[in-house]
Amino acid sequence: MSIAWKEIKKNKMKFFILGSIIFLVSLLTFIISGLANGLSQDNAALIKDLPNGQFYINRDAEENYNLSRIDNSVQEQVISKQKDTVAFSIQMGFLNDESDKQRSVAFVASTDSKLFESVAPGEIVLDRSLEKEGIDVGDTLAYKPFDKPLVVKRFVDHKKFSHAPVAYVNIEDYKKMYRSEEMQLLFIPRADETQNFKELQSFSNNDFLNTIPSYSAEQMSLNMIVWFLIVISGMLFAIFFYMMNVQKIGLYGILKAIGVKTSDLFKMMWTQMLYITSLSLALSIGCSQLFKKIAPEDMPYLLTNETTLLLSIVFIVIGFIGATLSGLQMKKVEPLHAIQQGEV
Amino acid sequence: MDIFTIGELRKTFSNGEVKEEVLKGVNLTLKKGEITALVGSSGSGKSTLLTIAAGLQPASDGKILFDGHNLTSMTSEEMRSIRAKKFGFVFQFAHLVPFLTVEEQLDLMLDVSEVKMPKENRQQEIHYLLERVGLSHRKQAYPASLSGGEKQRVAIARAIIHKPQVLFADEPTASLDSKRSKEIMSLLRDLTKTLNITTLMVTHDEEMLSYVDHVVKMSDGLVV
Repeated sequence: MSIAWKEIKKNKMKFFILGSIIFLVSLLTFIISGLANGLSQDNAALIKDLPNGQFYINRDAEENYNLSRIDNSVQEQVISKQKDTVAFSIQMGFLNDESDKQRSVAFVASTDSKLFESVAPGEIVLDRSLEKEGIDVGDTLAYKPFDKPLVVKRFVDHKKFSHAPVAYVNIEDYKKMYRSEEMQLLFIPRADETQNFKELQSFSNNDFLNTIPSYSAEQMSLNMIVWFLIVISGMLFAIFFYMMNVQKIGLYGILKAIGVKTSDLFKMMWTQMLYITSLSLALSIGCSQLFKKIAPEDMPYLLTNETTLLLSIVFIVIGFIGATLSGLQMKKVEPLHAIQQGEV
Repeated sequence: MDIFTIGELRKTFSNGEVKEEVLKGVNLTLKKGEITALVGSSGSGKSTLLTIAAGLQPASDGKILFDGHNLTSMTSEEMRSIRAKKFGFVFQFAHLVPFLTVEEQLDLMLDVSEVKMPKENRQQEIHYLLERVGLSHRKQAYPASLSGGEKQRVAIARAIIHKPQVLFADEPTASLDSKRSKEIMSLLRDLTKTLNITTLMVTHDEEMLSYVDHVVKMSDGLVV
């Protein structure tokens, strides 16, 4: 509706202020969302990169994989039923390089599976972040309680757990390192339905992620901020359009008197909301992509196109709701009152 | 030829338990192409009569026959459509849209009244009318930069651009000085006669009565 655009053109400052606020709020939302995703990836890329399926831990572990020890006979029973089941363990620990510098890692060992790195005894496969810290292929690393040295075989991209780089070790080495014959977890990939196994408790991928102690607390806080910002932007729309509509009550009355439909007044408001939101979102998407490039390398930041699109749609929907709620007063405007109130 | 007939029109306002009858059975007929002025003291009911006839507020009782319909029994959407397509309005103040230029004010009215015509013809029509009201040189101006008289001329142009059958004018010269009032009335008469538009006007100013065809005096809610 061109009348909507004409009002924006004539009252540039008023709409510029609204656009700036939406731009700032949406930019902040995109950046925090990027940080939330980045942290989530930094915290649990190892798990998040697995396909959808079912995780199993010991029922006695009380939803804490650290306490889980799956009996070998149970493990065999599950594997005999589901051939592609993989048993694995995750343990936080330290590796010392040749200069005895200590680095925190998450040791991961698994039975043979394409989902995890295959590692020969005495070898170790590391997340690439350690390469950036100066470790090279062929270096010998030591895990102090384990007398056998571990030779770096290769690096893999983006494999982190609990904010630490993942270090894949051979399952037999792992058993010696942690003096344990049992694995902590079983994973059945692409299992749509939960299968019940005695002594085991099952989790979907998302449910399992939430059992990681730091993961849910971190994500809940960040997501709360993201949604809070979205609600604030909706309220800003409602308040701003309410204030504009209050100023224009007289004008709406006159327009109604000469025969303008109330629905056309709503369309005018929605068009303005769409113009302002689209422009503000386009700018903030551009800036959030720029932020991705200028943010420090160590900062976990991941803003996918899907998240950007989803948040943009949410912003538009919230803006639409906010503007519509504030515009309900337009329905009540009586043309006669506007005429009697004098010049608009 | 009768175009607009008001019969036994009543309007009662309620304020709690107090009821006030402002129109007490008004009868009035408007003839095509003629200007009728409603005069009377304050509270005589002339403005109420005009706004009910224009479909801006409902009547309590009675009939308003126009174009084969009884306006008092129409829904608000039907009434809006009649206002947009068949009526024109000039108010005491110009009530122009502040963010539209003079030209755009008229273009908006053509949109509202759903007049279908090619863009070129539309521009010609607007230009012609602005010339008639002496404002073709100000078509790009916004209301804030117009004088009171110029604003009212734009309001008149907006009220008749879609060639309405009836024009309602509620004290169109009340906010203007004597010289400008005469100019506006002269223009109003000239345009409505040229376009054969029936006009119902409320005025307090007896000087303006020389421009109208009929004068209807109201007193205490009745035509006298």
